[in-house]
Amino acid sequence: MIKAESDLKFHQTKSFQERTKKTITLAFLLLGSILLLMPLWWMISTSLKSPEEIMQHPPTFIPESFRFSNYIEAWQTGPFARWGLNTLFIAIVTTIGSVLVNSYVAYGFAKIHFKGRNTLFVIVLATMLIPSFVTLVPQYMLFSKLGWVNTYLPLIIPAFAGSAFYIFLLRQFMMTIPDEYIEAARMDGASHLRIWWHIMLPLTKPALITVALFSFNAAWNDLLSPLLYLNDENLYTLQLGLQTFKGSVQVQWHYLMSMSVMILLPTVILFFFFQRYFMEGTNVSSGTKG
Amino acid sequence: MKRNVKLSFILLLAFSLLLSACSGGGKKEANATTKDGKVIIDFWSFWGSETRRPVIEKIVDDFNKSQDEIEVKHTFVPWGDIWTKNLAAVAAGNPADVIVNDLASVAHRADNQQAEDLSKLISKDLQSNLYPHLWEPVLYKDKPYAVPFTSDTRVLFYNKEAFKEAGLDPEKPPTTWAELEEYAKKLDVKKGKKYDRIGFYPLWGSFGAGSWMSNADGGKGFIEDGKLAVNTPKKAEALEWVQGWNKRIGDKNVQAFEAEFSSGQTNPFVTEKVAMWIDIAGFYTQIRDSGKEMEIGVAPIPEQETGSGHWNEGGGFALEIPKGSKHPKEAAKFIEYMASEQAQKYWALKNYDNVANVKAAESAATEMKDIEKTVYDQALANLKDTKLHTVPLEYPDYKTRLDPQLEAAIIGKMSAKEALEKAEKDIEELKK
Repeated sequence: MIKAESDLKFHQTKSFQERTKKTITLAFLLLGSILLLMPLWWMISTSLKSPEEIMQHPPTFIPESFRFSNYIEAWQTGPFARWGLNTLFIAIVTTIGSVLVNSYVAYGFAKIHFKGRNTLFVIVLATMLIPSFVTLVPQYMLFSKLGWVNTYLPLIIPAFAGSAFYIFLLRQFMMTIPDEYIEAARMDGASHLRIWWHIMLPLTKPALITVALFSFNAAWNDLLSPLLYLNDENLYTLQLGLQTFKGSVQVQWHYLMSMSVMILLPTVILFFFFQRYFMEGTNVSSGTKG
Repeated sequence: MKRNVKLSFILLLAFSLLLSACSGGGKKEANATTKDGKVIIDFWSFWGSETRRPVIEKIVDDFNKSQDEIEVKHTFVPWGDIWTKNLAAVAAGNPADVIVNDLASVAHRADNQQAEDLSKLISKDLQSNLYPHLWEPVLYKDKPYAVPFTSDTRVLFYNKEAFKEAGLDPEKPPTTWAELEEYAKKLDVKKGKKYDRIGFYPLWGSFGAGSWMSNADGGKGFIEDGKLAVNTPKKAEALEWVQGWNKRIGDKNVQAFEAEFSSGQTNPFVTEKVAMWIDIAGFYTQIRDSGKEMEIGVAPIPEQETGSGHWNEGGGFALEIPKGSKHPKEAAKFIEYMASEQAQKYWALKNYDNVANVKAAESAATEMKDIEKTVYDQALANLKDTKLHTVPLEYPDYKTRLDPQLEAAIIGKMSAKEALEKAEKDIEELKK
């Protein structure tokens, strides 16, 4: 005899089991996100404490009194507005550069058949294996001979020279776009430049936005290149400005953290707005929906 | 087709515009003179904090006003990274004219042709104004390659309140290792197996295992005059003594304390979790800025046995002209000013550093008062026992071979003797 659904005890019902499963999953996810958010919370809470409270032991989880003045004071310790504009300029130009250049190169690797394409692609990828500090001094000498030290050129031009990782990301994404589009366009007499501009760019928007976010973030947070190439404090970037709070003996944690929160904000906002594309863009195996 | 050409043309134009826009600012710096014909000296330091920056900028400003041939331009470059940047700039041949660098490794840079020989650039009597133990490290083949600016030395800080609680005389700090240990035990506050307060632990603060070993060994470093002095009986004794602390307090308790304070935001001495602490004199500012009313005392580093010497270790910073500077003569003039009594005294009064100029250091002391003066005086007094162990030319990286063995010994993985034997053998292989 088959038991009727109503005869089952409550904990044996399907809906109960599913719900438990869901609750457990959610609990794990919640725990995970709390763990991930802890450092961020710590940063924000430290940014609102007084220096005396930061030194207290045991540390306080929530600031005793919220010192928003830390933000204003930190901002006023140096020309942060100027440094912010400098950083923004560099980040925007490198972002534009790396989106355009990398996608054009990726288009070549993905859609144009030529002899030695795969070998060339492997060589491009192999550049990812070279640790950047190995090329540090030679690169510095090169830019110095060109007279580019103390200008933004060493920070910007490399973005226009392509990056293996972005090329790879975009190529994989472009591979999923059917060749028919391109063949049709070729038939109508369009050049590669035109196909890239009118067909590939619009179709690869999620991947392009991903590359844009990555490169904006990288330029925004870069410390080493500005450090090496800029000699004039008026040309400094935010990350270099942050270092003023870190001395050889003492660290001004309250300023360091409040300024860090402010510097973090633009990238968080950018990600917030573009996260939908970002998810699609990093998923290189996804197909087109066109 | 036409549109394509147009598009590429626009892109090209935009690109070249960008190039010219970005290169606009910088270039004129290279052989720069100001409008009124002054030579511009590029001076890099890592003093960018709210407290240090105004001090160095005032000194630079005073110098600029004092004469009309040179204009010093001070640039802040982040701590630590400043030397990476300097190496790249020296390699490329366009360094700054004056840089603040590590005093212990001057000879090393001289050997690698990264710094200018100053023997013909600075006046002969400059040396007589500065502490001899700070002058020694700037010499390479008997010629100076830098001028010492500041130095530091270690001081034993102790919590007077804790001393009273434990029934110790707050005016009688420990003077020998045995006393230090005896006091530390009395200052411990235990709750079951755990510590609420640790009286003292020799490796916290800024006096490491190596410093204790050299303290026992008559102030001798690990490499003296190019000869290894790693595996000596006194050094082994000291390492065993350090191991003893770990055994008594327990590795777990030590690690728990270290983890608790690992962020560096809070200091265990300032929060009264540790009662005695060895650090540089400038550590006093952390106690002051904590806003706590803490009664502290200061003392020399305890000696191993009565009469063996309160051997101490110090470091410091020197002013250097990187090899390839365009204006070494003018740079040297600025360096001489930085080493003058006036500039050095101002620095000492504002930052509590031990400065290199003897008169400046002594006259700064007369102008301080209260606890500030007590700490500063102690640091000055400790200078006579302070050794500055320079980076040996034959074994520049000896620490990378020494430290792993010391660590292994401290956590009890091997005996002190074994560790030092192994370290000496490893270091020997490094010889250039």
